Formats: sequence, structure tokens, C-alpha cells
Amino acid sequence: MSNEGETPENRLRRELPEEVPAAAAESSGPEQLDEKDEPSLTGRQRLVKGLWPPRVTRAQLIVALLLFGLGFGLAVQVASNSDSGSALRGARQEDLVRILDELDNRTQRLEDEKQGLEDQRTELENSSNQAAEARKQTAEKEKQLGILAGTVAAQGPGITLTINDTKGTVKADMLLDAIQELRAAGAEAIQVNGVRVVASTYLADSGKGVSVDGNKITQPYRFKVIGKPQDLEPALNIPGGVVQTLEKEQATVTVERATKIIVDALRAAKQPDYARSSSQ
Amino acid sequence: MIAVLGLVVGVVAGLLVRPEVPAVVEPYLPIAVVAALDAVFGGLRAMLDGIFDDKVFVVSFLSNVVVAALIVFLGDKLGVGAQLSTGVVVVLGIRIFSNAAAIRRHVFRA
Repeated sequence: MSNEGETPENRLRRELPEEVPAAAAESSGPEQLDEKDEPSLTGRQRLVKGLWPPRVTRAQLIVALLLFGLGFGLAVQVASNSDSGSALRGARQEDLVRILDELDNRTQRLEDEKQGLEDQRTELENSSNQAAEARKQTAEKEKQLGILAGTVAAQGPGITLTINDTKGTVKADMLLDAIQELRAAGAEAIQVNGVRVVASTYLADSGKGVSVDGNKITQPYRFKVIGKPQDLEPALNIPGGVVQTLEKEQATVTVERATKIIVDALRAAKQPDYARSSSQ
Repeated sequence: MIAVLGLVVGVVAGLLVRPEVPAVVEPYLPIAVVAALDAVFGGLRAMLDGIFDDKVFVVSFLSNVVVAALIVFLGDKLGVGAQLSTGVVVVLGIRIFSNAAAIRRHVFRA
């Protein structure tokens, strides 16, 4: 540091004395005279001497004026620089243009990103809508299939068919005929004395009564049938049909229409052992 | 002493008044301030060396400021304003440092 500092210092020293004698000769201020009188003063002593007894000389006033300007400019610059939000105030035109360009690019990038994210969101919403729709349809279908398979209760308009067989002459095949006739007439859910009748239901004679899917039931046989009553009743009453056949066996048969039939006998869903869905 | 008072009064006035810097002067003010600082340090050093002269100081102060502003102005016109101001600040900074080193040797004898 000291070695580096020497060179410019020496050069300045060489330069300045050339100017000073000329200036000193012209101005011949009191300072210069003092200086000449006491050339052995050190720098520190000169500083103290210059500082303390305040002398109002022309030199001091001019220097004070210039320093006032310096301090003023310094303070103004610092103040205007540290103003909040005015970081761009002192910026040059090309810098401003560059900053503006960067901001534009950044805006563009962010817009692109926003667009992409919005597309993604729309896509996700659509797919989730589709999934919800599919779920809804599946639930709907499950209900429909549940009614067919007898795993859910059903209600709706229909008829009640009651067969009083005091003589014990009604056999399983006659009940089966009745069920077939009802199915043919559009019955959608059937239960007999608390047993749900589904696709795999079988009927067999069993002593004095009838066995439905292994559940023994006895007379009176009460069929609860959901379907269109206007179709179901005539289907049973047609000449030579179920009702006449049963009455020929001396059973009493009553058919009543109802606006609300509840088929609440359930059957456990059973996984087929061999049959597998062939779709997909 | 009066010179130091002038500096203090200037700073206080600048802080109190807080004038709006005119747009024309705005790019040159920082450079001018640095140039003036350089002149002040040079003057302080000359005083410690015992060769201080108010005329020299005034001329060097004003010419420093004017030349610095002129260089920045020219740089702005040539389209290299930013680089030239950096250069000016670097040169003035080096001068301030060397002057400060000389002052330090006088004041602290080290």
C-alpha cells in the first residue's frame, strides 16, 4: 500500500509546487506568509492550526461556499437516491429500455405459464366432471341392477296377488306359471311371502307348501309385484290364465291394484363361481 | 473552521430542503459530487502538506466538477454514458484513495 501510494504522491508533489508559488505570489494570503515563516510545522499541527482559531478570510469563505455546495449536492443526491420507489429515477434511458424489455419478457413468460396452467385446470375439471358423471351413471346402473338382482329394496305401483289354498292343491308349477305370467306382463320386482324372486329363483313342492329357493312357504301365498298394474292384472285374469287355472284347483285368488307396493325382501349378492363378465 | 462549517451547513440544508433535482442535472449530480469530493480531499492534503492555495483549490474544484459532468454528458451523447461514468468514478476513487493515504500519513504518521 505504502509503495503504491508513494508514486502518485510524489508525482503530485512534483506538480503542485510548480503551481503554488505562482498562486502564492499573486494572492499573498496570510496563510502563505505563516507557512513561509514556520516551514517546520508538521501536517497535524497545520490541521489544528487551520481548524481552531476560526479566521474569516477570503480563502476560508470561498472554500466554505464550495463545501456548502458539495454538502448540499451530496445530501440532495443521497436523499433523492434513498427515496422509496424511485429506484428508476436516476436510471439512464438505455437502462430503462432494458428493464422494460426484461419486464415484457417476464410478463410474456408468466402469461404463457398462466395459460398452460389454466388449460391444465380446465382439463382436470373436465376429467373430474367426466369421472363424476361416470360415477353417477354407475350408481344409477347399480340401483337398476340391484332391483333386478334383488339386492336392494324397490317400491312403485303394482299389484298384490293373494292365493288362498285351503285344500293344499296348489303346486309349485302353478306358482311358477303365475310368476312367468307376471314377468311376461312386465313385472319388475316380485316377492312371495318374504322371498325375493330373481332370475335364479327356483320353486319346488315341499310337503304341504312350496319351497322357494329353499325357503319353505305355506299358503296363503302373497305375491307383491311391482309393474304396470293395468298390464299385470289383465295378464292374470285372461281366460284360461293363471287365475282361472288356480280357481279350477279350488283356490281363491284375489288381485288388488296398489299405487305403492314395497318389495323389501332382499337377497345377498352372490359372486358367480364360473361365469365371468366377457365384456372388456 | 469556517470551511468545515460550510460543509455541515450544506449537508443540513440539503437534508432539510430536499429540493427536487431537475431532470437535466440528474445524471450529472452524482459524478459532480464525487469529483468535488476528490477536489476536497486534494485540498485537504495540500493543506497538510503546507502548500494549500485557495485559488488552486477553487479552480480545481470547479474544473473537476465541470470536467466530470462534461465527460458524462459526452458519454451520454455517444451512447456509452454508463461505462464512462463508471470510468470517471473509478479514476476519481483512485485519486481519493491516494489522497486519503497521504492525509493519513500526515495525521496519524502511519
